[in-house]
Amino acid sequence: MTGFVDLFTESNSALHRMDPRVKIASVIFLSLLALIISELGYLLVLAGVMVLLLLIGRASFSKTMFAFSYVSRVMLLIVVLWPIFDPSGTPVLLEFGPIKITGPGILAGLATAVRVFCLAAVWYVLMFTTSQRDLVRALVKLGLRFDYGLSLAISLRFLPTFGATVESIKDAQRARGLELDRGGVAKRARNYLAVLVPTTITALKTADTLALALQSRAYGARADRTYLRELSMRAIDYVALVVVVAAFALPFAAKYLLSMPL
Amino acid sequence: MIPRNRALPSEEKIISVRNLKFVYEGGVEALRGINLDIRSGEFLAIVGGNGSGKTTLAKNFNGLLRPTGGTVRVADKPASELTVAQLSRIIGYAFQNPDHQLFCASVEEEVRFGPVNLGYPEDEVKAKVEHAIEAMDIHSVRALPPHSLRLSERRRVSIASVIAMDPRVIILDEPTTGLDAGETKALMAKVSQLNREGRTVVLITHDMRLVAEHASRVVVMSDGRIVLDSDPRGAFADLDLLRNCSLVPPPVMLLAHSLAKYGVPRDIISPQELVMRIVLGKGDVR
Repeated sequence: MTGFVDLFTESNSALHRMDPRVKIASVIFLSLLALIISELGYLLVLAGVMVLLLLIGRASFSKTMFAFSYVSRVMLLIVVLWPIFDPSGTPVLLEFGPIKITGPGILAGLATAVRVFCLAAVWYVLMFTTSQRDLVRALVKLGLRFDYGLSLAISLRFLPTFGATVESIKDAQRARGLELDRGGVAKRARNYLAVLVPTTITALKTADTLALALQSRAYGARADRTYLRELSMRAIDYVALVVVVAAFALPFAAKYLLSMPL
Repeated sequence: MIPRNRALPSEEKIISVRNLKFVYEGGVEALRGINLDIRSGEFLAIVGGNGSGKTTLAKNFNGLLRPTGGTVRVADKPASELTVAQLSRIIGYAFQNPDHQLFCASVEEEVRFGPVNLGYPEDEVKAKVEHAIEAMDIHSVRALPPHSLRLSERRRVSIASVIAMDPRVIILDEPTTGLDAGETKALMAKVSQLNREGRTVVLITHDMRLVAEHASRVVVMSDGRIVLDSDPRGAFADLDLLRNCSLVPPPVMLLAHSLAKYGVPRDIISPQELVMRIVLGKGDVR
């Protein structure tokens, strides 16, 4: 069975206790920050902050390794390919034919790789420290319609179940002599029908049962919903929000208003 | 005692498992050293509580799972050298949930799918499909879409689609879950008929009554090991062992155990047998 990994890890760290709305806002601001900074040195500082956040959020080592195993491949590609396609600047370090490797090209490649790391890390911190339930709750509080929020929550909740069903269906068809990865494109597409049709039907049946289960528990009985768990901003949440906004706004102003090289 | 109309198992080992171990990716040890020979023509029941390793074992027979230790031989060849598709010519596997298998527009197409995959010529496909439809008694629904049928019919279609591949062994994973008593009886009668025709049947189940009435041999699994391997009579004699494996023997067996102090033997496995022992074997009953 190909495992579906829920990145969220139960814990009681400061980041886990932070209001999910603040976390979502922070992730957006820090992502923008990673995009506006282009100097390698500052990006490395930001990357250091990300590592610190991962530590504060007590990210599990194995999940972090799993998450960054994909990101690191992208980073490696960028480091290798960027200098080849970016011949700008001097000094020229190497030259064969049309390919020119320059010092600034290598630095730009490194900077972009670190930027990718920062962008990935900040979203991973959110996923590591925020349960799906809290994420959806925050989105609803930020104005998403409750129905959509619930649909989103249910979809996320059923992803692993669904993955297991698909594996079971594949096994069932392989036991009937189906070889999914044999033959040309058309043959393979037809092969996958044998997986797609039972998957769709099973999913529709599940959805139907689920709708009935929701109705039988009086979903939608009153228009003005009350919530068992209210979100409330604590002082520390406001502080965190101010810090993050400042961390974004100051470099932004420095770069675009004062034209400082960042 | 009760005449049993079933093919005698031959000496040929159709499936032979040595020191089989299986560990799932997450590190769960599902099988911890299984040794088992299944002879051609047997009606073998694999019983045990949820999570005891029944399905994992069966999936190792036909290559859906590959051993992490030990060996599986099928029809005297190492299973590791055969693909799932090649193994499916010898071992048919009907999944617990028929909805995971059915996808065609009509029952007949569904039953054809397997033999066509295996590349049989058209006349053989036709013959095999007819035999399978006959064996599972699904003539009346052969033109209907399988998903429109009731559960007992969908189950029969899914078993028919396996029989149509003409395998020597048929693995049935909890085939009676969700069926009522009448549907269960009808289905098991058809499965017994397949066994009488010489097919090896491997039945995975919790239902000890099915085992008592149909199986020629019972393997009890617990925690990834085989804890008992005997005929049903022997398997039911050890109530403590069954209880430890979350299994309940058939009521008639419990009754026989309660009547043991009046001279009723404990190894009764059917109501008819109990009646015969009490009525005819008066000498035993005080």
